[in-house]
Amino acid sequence: MNEYVAKALAIDCDSVSRYLVERLREYIEESGLKGGVLGLSGGVDSSVVAVLLAKATENFFLLLMPSSSTPPRDMEDAMKIVKMLNAEGKYAVIYIDDYVKALADAAKVEDKKIVGNIKARIRMTLLYAYAQKLGYLVVGTGDKSELMLGYFTKYGDGGVDVLPIGDLYKTQVRQLGKCLGVPEEIVSKPPSPALWEGQTAEGELGVDYETIDSILYLRYEEMRTREEIASMLGIDMSVVDKIDSLVRRSQHKRLPPEIFRLSGRAIGSDWRYPRRYWNVRPWA
Amino acid sequence: MKIELAQIRPILGDVERNFLKHKEIVETSDSDCVVFPELSLTGYVLKDLTFELFRYSEMAVERLIDVAGNKCVVAGTIKEVRPGILRNSAAVIVGGRIDYVYKFYLPTYGLFEERRYFQRGDPARDLKIFRHAGVNFGVMICEDAWHPEPAEALALMGADLILVPAASPMRRLSKSLAIQDSWEALLKAHALMNSVWMVFVNTVGAQEEEFFWGGSMVVSPLGEVKLRLKTFEEDRATYDIDFEELRRARFFSSFRDHISSFHRVLARL
Repeated sequence: MNEYVAKALAIDCDSVSRYLVERLREYIEESGLKGGVLGLSGGVDSSVVAVLLAKATENFFLLLMPSSSTPPRDMEDAMKIVKMLNAEGKYAVIYIDDYVKALADAAKVEDKKIVGNIKARIRMTLLYAYAQKLGYLVVGTGDKSELMLGYFTKYGDGGVDVLPIGDLYKTQVRQLGKCLGVPEEIVSKPPSPALWEGQTAEGELGVDYETIDSILYLRYEEMRTREEIASMLGIDMSVVDKIDSLVRRSQHKRLPPEIFRLSGRAIGSDWRYPRRYWNVRPWA
Repeated sequence: MKIELAQIRPILGDVERNFLKHKEIVETSDSDCVVFPELSLTGYVLKDLTFELFRYSEMAVERLIDVAGNKCVVAGTIKEVRPGILRNSAAVIVGGRIDYVYKFYLPTYGLFEERRYFQRGDPARDLKIFRHAGVNFGVMICEDAWHPEPAEALALMGADLILVPAASPMRRLSKSLAIQDSWEALLKAHALMNSVWMVFVNTVGAQEEEFFWGGSMVVSPLGEVKLRLKTFEEDRATYDIDFEELRRARFFSSFRDHISSFHRVLARL
């Protein structure tokens, strides 16, 4: 990674993890719910969030939802996290192939991307069912790189209540993973949504995460030009443009759906309230 | 003069709970003056709740009078100065009477959107000096400390102590807490340039996406940080301000030399 960017993206692990754990604890408490449930894939993002969640509350639940396209190694890695967190009795394994097939058949689809998205949305459905059953929140595991690129399924892994590591790039999540004691083989594993066999994020995107994160940081946090970034990173401008285009085209995934304006005051426009709208009480 | 820095974590939008916290702190304080953060009665990231909450926060201020007794209390609130015109304010309760200090510089950049909701104060009318426990002091709110004029004006108008209620959110935790270094530099500069005591009381805790970092501090007229509160958690502490130190600092500073013609130049810019 470019030295300048590496320095900018270096995190103080202790303070960042303490901060995230405390915010997660507080978020759960304020929501009035009892704990959090998350989908554990055996990748670095969900492993890191699982560790943070387990530090924030003893009321956590890990759902492992493999399909036929899940590499066996991912399940082994997920079980390492289950053990590491002493989550005996706080996890479940649900094989989702039957449900995927049923929905794909019902929709008459075979395309691997469409079926892949069905998988992600089945997992979301199961997570919410568990959350409601247990009185927990659904804790998302998306990182900033994925969110910026739109590299997630809308209402699939994107369908969550809170995103604790949503402001950390993938390479920063790896740093956090290391200092939280997530096993090295999980931290260094090539990221993959595993929605179909052989899928890897870097293969699909055509760019490695160190480069992706460097471009995202320089383009959107330091607001540098495409030319400058290409020259700083020693890469072709087309790579910068590709990332740029992914970010711009996926904007709809990061925002609530557009509402067509008619009234004097409309949601999403000039009706702007904080999430903690419920805190307001009439006071006499 | 003994000052209490009440670095609280307001519950966004819950004026009643915030009022009860103010009450408890004021009632249990052995100080002469209790200072709360900016918008301490309402929380900061209010968005359109501003329009719903100003009445409650005004009521809360009225009730603080009874709680205050002989103490002075500075609390963050919204003040409706004319029907429909709201200002980001500090209620200053001294001797059982309420007065208001309004924020002049309303940040509207990055995550801030204050000018969407508030009208700014008018320096010609709204710069005020208060007197309590034998001390002349002024109050300026958060962003006003990022400009030279409010502190300079208060000091020249007679303030020996400037209270700065604030709601400063954390950015870039990945490195050191850069915003804390910036604030410390600003407070030291104001203290040194104006030969005054500076008391900064920041909000702490999460409000929506943001997180306020706390780290309230007292800075002497010689630019030394005399008291530091915790970062990232609620905290309260008192500091006994020594005005002999202020006197000595002024003997050996050029504070007395104010060349007002600079301001005639500034006024034309």
